[in-house]
Amino acid sequence: MIYIETGSDNVYFNFGLELYFAAEKKLDEPVLLFWRTTPTLMVGKYQNTLEEINQTYAEQHGIQVVRRLSGGGTIYTDPGGWQFTFIDYNEDAQITFTQYIAPVVDALRALGVPAEFNGRNDLVIEGKKFSGNAQYKQGGTTVHHGSLLFSTDIAQMVASTTVDPYKILSKSIKSVRDRVTNIFEHLPQPMDTDAFKRHMVRYLMRGSEKTYTPTAQDLARIRELARERFDNWQCKYGANPKFEIVKTGRFAGGKMEFRLTVKKGVIQGAAVSGDFFAAERAEGLAQCVIGCAYEKSAVLAALQNANMDGAVYGVSAAEIAALITE
Amino acid sequence: MKNELKMPKLRPEMERGVLCAWLKEPGEAYHKGEAIFEIETEKVVNQVEAEQDGVMGRQLVEEGDEVAVGAPIAEVED
Repeated sequence: MIYIETGSDNVYFNFGLELYFAAEKKLDEPVLLFWRTTPTLMVGKYQNTLEEINQTYAEQHGIQVVRRLSGGGTIYTDPGGWQFTFIDYNEDAQITFTQYIAPVVDALRALGVPAEFNGRNDLVIEGKKFSGNAQYKQGGTTVHHGSLLFSTDIAQMVASTTVDPYKILSKSIKSVRDRVTNIFEHLPQPMDTDAFKRHMVRYLMRGSEKTYTPTAQDLARIRELARERFDNWQCKYGANPKFEIVKTGRFAGGKMEFRLTVKKGVIQGAAVSGDFFAAERAEGLAQCVIGCAYEKSAVLAALQNANMDGAVYGVSAAEIAALITE
Repeated sequence: MKNELKMPKLRPEMERGVLCAWLKEPGEAYHKGEAIFEIETEKVVNQVEAEQDGVMGRQLVEEGDEVAVGAPIAEVED
């Protein structure tokens, strides 16, 4: 086992590093990473970001959004928690979780924490979840990563994953909401987050002291992967599985409703109805947003280009763009 | 020769998987070892590689569909 210190709390960089050592630079032995993030919402690869996160809350509180390459549901992470990653070049197509999770359970029990498995490959203490685990497998490599809630802001976790009840139809993977707990509440002896990390890394390395320090060349490519594969609108929102959404707004003049089909981040179908306008005006409004990215500034530009600002009495293009995308 | 791709069984207790993404379009050729579709089961995203050279034919399930292990998911020409 080789330990790599990521040296960063930037989630895009850390996922870029993970992918780099999984797919591009394979080391001689399995790799362990133990890292943390600034406040972040991580959605599963085939989830719909809009169904999983409270976008407005995330923006107001500076919470990053990232799409993992692994499956499963959405989790919230912050500097009060840790992420662990095993990169295993085992060429085994069969899925196993136990070999990656069991050492984590052992390490926690060594601290006197009564950690246990549950049936969904999560770890729990007294029935409350403190660790979610997921994997991706590609090109003969397994990447197993898991989260550890140590002293995470649970109130912020709940607020940022409480989503407005939009009407969305999609075949995306849905998150399962669990009761959660922080590890520090169950420690017989107090321990700070850095001491906890040192304990976990020592335990998970099973006596090995091998480390690898990324070179300048490694770091340059990792930053590229971070930008190209994680830190851009297309990855966060454009990669949502196809969905249909209904957005209803109430304005001084009455109700306006959009029914949209969005695929690969682009509005592919739209219908508008409301108390405001004649059918032909509604058709014109719907047509001008078809083909544009499902993103506020793109929708606003499309509405302005089609001279829709002021076309609906008492409602601006900015208000329509906000209705459609927020 | 006409053949069928089936939903693979990736762990003994696996019963179903979600076909999340087709990585080859109908009519597109692929080589042995190339990833041709991606499935998700039990929080694992798995790229499934071709066991031999072939050409993707009619796809029998849509992205996002949940399918039983062993069920046919696409016709292929080997």
